[in-house]
Formats: sequence, structure tokens, C-alpha cells
Amino acid sequence: MPVGLLVNLSARNLFRHRRRNAMLLLAICVAVAGVTVLNSLVRGMQEDMRDAAVENLTGHVKVLAPGYRDDPGIQHRFAPGKDWHSGVSGDALAGWAARVVVPAVIMSERETRGLQLAGVDPARESISFLGDVPVLGERLQDAGDNRILVGRALAEQLETDVGYRVVVITRGADGSTREAGFRVAGIFDADGTALEKAFAFSGLRYVQSLLGTGDVTELSLRLRDDAATDAVVRNLQARLPELQVLSWQELEPQAAAMYAMADTAIYIWFLVMMGALIFGLVNTLITAVMERTRELGMLRAVGMRRGAVLVQVVLESALVMTAGVTLGLVAGAVLAWMLRDGIDLSRWAAGAELAGMSSRLVPRLLPGDLALLAAMSLGFGVLASLYPAWRAVKIEPLEAMRR
Amino acid sequence: MTGAMALQIGWRNLWRNRRRTWLTAGGVAFAVFLVVATMCVQLGSYRTMEETATSLLTGHVQIQSADYVEEERLEDALSAAGLLAARVRQVEGVAAATPRMEAFVLASAGERSFGAQLLGIEPQSHARVVSFHERIIHGRDLRSAGEGVLGETLARNLGVEVGDEAVLLGSAREGGVAALVVRVVGLFRTGMAELDRGLLLAHIDDVREAFELQDRVHTLVVRTPDLDAVDRTVDALVTALPPRWPEDAGGEPVRVRSWQEVLPELRQAIEIDRISGALMYWIVMVLVGFSVVNTFIMTVYERTREFGVLLAIGMRPRRIMVMLQWEAVFIWALGTGTGLLLATALVAWLGRVGIYLGEEMEQLAREMYMPTRLYPTFTTEALLTAPLVMFVGTQLAAVLPSLRILRLEPATALRVPA
Repeated sequence: MPVGLLVNLSARNLFRHRRRNAMLLLAICVAVAGVTVLNSLVRGMQEDMRDAAVENLTGHVKVLAPGYRDDPGIQHRFAPGKDWHSGVSGDALAGWAARVVVPAVIMSERETRGLQLAGVDPARESISFLGDVPVLGERLQDAGDNRILVGRALAEQLETDVGYRVVVITRGADGSTREAGFRVAGIFDADGTALEKAFAFSGLRYVQSLLGTGDVTELSLRLRDDAATDAVVRNLQARLPELQVLSWQELEPQAAAMYAMADTAIYIWFLVMMGALIFGLVNTLITAVMERTRELGMLRAVGMRRGAVLVQVVLESALVMTAGVTLGLVAGAVLAWMLRDGIDLSRWAAGAELAGMSSRLVPRLLPGDLALLAAMSLGFGVLASLYPAWRAVKIEPLEAMRR
Repeated sequence: MTGAMALQIGWRNLWRNRRRTWLTAGGVAFAVFLVVATMCVQLGSYRTMEETATSLLTGHVQIQSADYVEEERLEDALSAAGLLAARVRQVEGVAAATPRMEAFVLASAGERSFGAQLLGIEPQSHARVVSFHERIIHGRDLRSAGEGVLGETLARNLGVEVGDEAVLLGSAREGGVAALVVRVVGLFRTGMAELDRGLLLAHIDDVREAFELQDRVHTLVVRTPDLDAVDRTVDALVTALPPRWPEDAGGEPVRVRSWQEVLPELRQAIEIDRISGALMYWIVMVLVGFSVVNTFIMTVYERTREFGVLLAIGMRPRRIMVMLQWEAVFIWALGTGTGLLLATALVAWLGRVGIYLGEEMEQLAREMYMPTRLYPTFTTEALLTAPLVMFVGTQLAAVLPSLRILRLEPATALRVPA
């Protein structure tokens, strides 16, 4: 029996019971649309978490002196050679920055706080959150800028403001205590308060001169494609054997764990939705088979093979599934598109920060995910039709026709 | 037809198509099982998160000067601390209370110095309010004046060990230098990088003396008998305490805050999780609802002839509808019963052995105030939500197709082939 005829037969059978098949279609559509939207939200969240991890000064890859992670101080510094990044191809590298990051105490006239003083070259910081963070007052001009940029939360604690003076105490490269006055150039307003309280920024060269060294404590690399991270880490490590080269997953294990967890979550969601769907699907297919006992018996009697009966039922399921999945994907994509401006989580900003998310959740549709979803749904449809198909195959022509 | 009869016929009808009944009830069971079990895990983990978070340092309720809450300035401490603590301890719902001083210091040992948050605590009462002392990994808990307990990372950065001395410098209330020497008696590890790197504890008497804050207190930390008593206790404290303390005109405004206000990020993280969970539950229940609607569409169409007979012999359409609603109730009961049974069995088992989150998740769990093993617990909310929603859902699912019965003409219905 030609396949074309079987498809035709299956399709017609579906239209014999428009109402219930429409319900089934609707259910599949809701399930697939639901998974699509949730999937896009999870992907958006993942992207957010990775960006937050990468942008908060980590970068995709970081080069540190051994020992700096345990004891982040100027004693663990290094001088990057001129051509240290020649091992990374220009195509993969979006940008890099050298920094001096040391623990320090910052004092205003009223208050004292501990933080990390970071000497940065503003021209290179387009790779971190510093590049586009809103700033009240002025940004740092260049690597020689001797003013300081502090976070909003810290400025509030210190009761300081743009143009005021603060004093920073830290340890110099020779181990002695260094103290310097800074004028506040600007106040940055990061997404949460953690960065605002943890870092203050000044010009790289100025901080180096304050500490009495020309070395840096870290090199941070931003890549064009996250997937290249591991290769870049290997290349750099081979080039800089005496230094520690780390990926963002190693530097931010929590963010990496969250990221990996989100991947699993997508599959769990899918299985749950399909699980809920399968009862209705099997139920409808079985009814469709049982109603047609006599008819199927007749077909068998006039010479239709068992295989053809089986294919017919499986096709019926696959057809409903295809239609439902198509509609569902379209509906899900439209929903995700409607949410393109993001879902405002600012009411839960602090909680979102705890979970490594930004305060605006923007869904992301990945073609690969949609294809996978469609394929898995169809697979599920075929799987669900096996039992009804088996029932249909078991029909004995003679007995069925006597009914 | 009497009500009892509608019920009986409904029950019998159910078994005319066993497979369909079980498949439909199976869908309901799946939804109930999934939602009940995950809600038990979810709500149970919230409870443990809340308990872990509050028992670390925050306590259940904090009493501070309203100015201190706003500005966190050293001088905004409440005076007559002893009297205030005595007053607070008498309020109903206060299981224990402890005074705490907070100051920023530069901690140094030898050549090294790091900025850190200093907490001045009264060791005996502190241990009754929070269980911070359980986080000590080397040495022992703080016992008397002159001693200090440091975060593990801070100690490593400073290069000190148990038995060494550390110098703490800060600015006192009147602007002078506050200096304090403590002998390190213990190191703690909370798992939260910020605390392990930047927190140290000393005796409250030392801190008060060094910072010129005699008989003052920054925070009175209160423990209530359990988390459910927190809101009640906050109300009781607000009524019992004067709006300004001390009560004369020069008093500072008093602010009573529950842990939810002190740790908004925890409450919000729980809320986000709740919402994303609810999204999944609703989609699953709607999907199962569709499958129930479908079952009733099939039922009603297959039995058109039967309904025609019933109508022809004088049965009211409404009676037939009541009968169908009973069928929906039975399907719901079968599904919910099975689902609840499976869910409670699973939850009871997991409640005993716990869910291990895996090595990778351990650090993450600690940062999120979560224990490394999750113990789901039964709550009324978790047990009742899905069954109730599914009840309404199945009833609605049965009503929609059976509306057709109202429009059924007995004569035409009888002619439909069986």
C-alpha cells in the first residue's frame, strides 16, 4: 500500500472527529507553546547569568599570578609580556584589559569601609560592566586619571558625593602601608548593590604608581564566542606557564553550576509537559481505534497488511503532533516576541541578584532549541501511538466484522 | 431519578470504558502527584532556607534605631541597652534576645591589614538566639572579653591562626581612634564568601569600650519560638515598645523589623522561585484539564443514543448533566487519590533520606542559604492546592461538553446509530 494513501487515510480519520481532535490539537499547542516560552526564558536567564559573571570584571578568561585567588593582594602580581595575547587569534578575542585589583580601606569624613581598589584603563573596559554602567558625574578619563569612581551603595554608606574627597589606604608592593586622597569623579549605578559595595575604580597607571609597581594583578579577556573559552585557556596556559589561566566557569563556580542546572531544567520541563499530554493523546487515539474496530477489520479482510494498519495509526498521531507542534512553536515564538522587551523583575531585584540574574528577564529563542523541541515532541507522539497501534494490529478481521 | 441514583449510575457508567477512565484518572493522578510532590520539595526547601538564613546571624526579629536602619552610622545606637533588652525579653513571643554592636574596622596582624565588619556579641545570650557558634571550624567559640573569632579567609589573608593576636582599628563615636587587641580563639566558615572574608566577632564589652558606646546597642536580635510566630511577635513588640527610646524627649526612634525586611533578597528569591514553579503547575494542570474535556466530549458523543432514550422516557436533561458531573467527581477522586498516595509516599521517603544536590551544587546551596541536602515536608498548601484546582478543573471540563445535552432532541438522538 503506497504511503501517500496511508497519509490520506490518517488525515481523513482525524477530520471525522473535528471537536475532539481540535481539543487534542489545542492541548499539544498549549504544551509546546508553554515549553517554548519557558525555554526561551530559561535561555534568557542563562545568558544573563553568564553575562553577569563575565561582565563583573571576570571576563571569559582571566590570567592571575598563582596564589592571588587565595590571597588577593599586590604581593601576587606579575608583568605581562608585550605579546602575551599573541596566542589568542584576533577573531576570537573581543577585548582584553589589564588591571591592578587590591584590597583597600576607603574613608570619607564620616565612615570607613573595606573594598577592592581596581586600577583600570577606561579605554579597555568596554569588555566589563564598567563600559556601559550609568555614571552620575564623570567617568574616568584615562589610565592616568587620579580620581576615583565609587558605587552608589558605597557612596551612600560613606555619605560622600561627586567632587568630594575620600582617603584610600592599602599596601604597597614593598609591603608598607600607602595612603592617598582621591577626588570622587563619579558614582556608578550597577544592577545590584554587590558590585557597588565591592569595587572602587581609578586609573591603572595612577594606582600602579601609588603601589610602587608597574605590574598588574590580572588580565581579563572577553571572547566573541563563549564556546572558544576552553581552547583559549589551553593556548594561554601553554604560553604563560608560570601564571594561572582560568575560565569563567572556574572563577565563578556558582554561576557555572546555575548555568548547567538551567540546561537540565529545560529537559525536565519538556518531560513534565509531555507527561501531562500523553494521557490525553493515548486516550484519544485508543478511542479512535476502538470506534473503527469494524472498519479496520474490514480493511484487513480485503487484504490490508498488519504493517499498514500500524503505520496508519502512528501516522495519525504524527499528523496531529506535527500540526500541534507547528502551531505551538508559532504561538510560543509569538509570545516570546511579545515579551521581547523583557519581564521586569525589579520588584525582586535583590533576590534576582542572589540568583545571578539581572532585573530584566529577556526571553531568547534559539533555533537549535526549537528544532530539538519539535523533534522530541514528534518522537513522543510516535511513542504514544505505539500502544493504540498495537491494539489496532491485534484486531481479528472475522471477529471485528461480526460486531 | 433521585440524587443517590444519579450518583450510582454515574459510578457504573465509569466502568463501561475502563481503559478510558483509567487513562483520564491517570492524567489527573500525574498532575496531582507532580504538583504535590514538587510543592512539598519547594516549600520544604524554603522553610530550611529561611531557618538556615535566620539562624546564622540575622535572627527572626531585629530591633534598632530607625536612623541606624537608614544610615548605618555608628553613633545611631539605642541607649539604655540593658533596660531595653529586659523590656524586650518580657514581650510575648520573644524566646530569646541578644544585644549586638556593629562597627567597621581595619584588622591588622604584622604587616598585613584588611577592612572587616566587627560584631560585638554577648556570647551566652548570642548562642541562644542564633547558631553562629556551630560554624566554628578551628578553635572554639567566643567566651570572654579580649577574645576574637575570625572568618576563615580573613584569618588566612591576615596570616593569623588560633592563638595569635589581631589589632582592630576604627573610629569611635566621638571621632577618636578606637583600638582593640583580640586574641584569636576560633575561626569560622559560613560558606558565604563575603562573611568568611570580611567578618569578625569580639566580646560586646570590648567593642563598647573601644568605640565609646557604653550601655548602647546597635541591634537587639530576637528569636521567636518558630518562624510562624514572627509576624505576631513583631506586632507585639511594636505595641509593647515606646516609639522612641528612651521614653523621654531625647530618645531615638525605634524600628522593629522581621527577617523578611532585614533579608529582602531571600524573600524575593523565594518569590521568584514560587512564581516560576506556579507557572509550571498551571500549565500542567491546564493540559490535564484538556484531556479531561476530551474524555467527556468522547463520552457525550458516544452516548447520544443512550441519552435520547433517557430523555424519551422522561428524564430531565439537568439530571443527565448531574450524572455526568458525578462521573467527573469519581474520575477526580480516583486520580487525586492515586496521585496523593504516590506523592505522600515519595515525600515521606525523601523526607527521611533527603535529596542530595550533588557536589557542584553544594557551594551554590550554601551561598543561597540552602542546606546541602533537601528535606521535603508536608504542608497544607502543598497537599491541598493541586487536588482543589483539579476538582474545579474536572467539573468545568465535564460541564462544557455536556451542555450539548440541553439541546438534544430525543427523537433525533434516538436515531443516531450506536
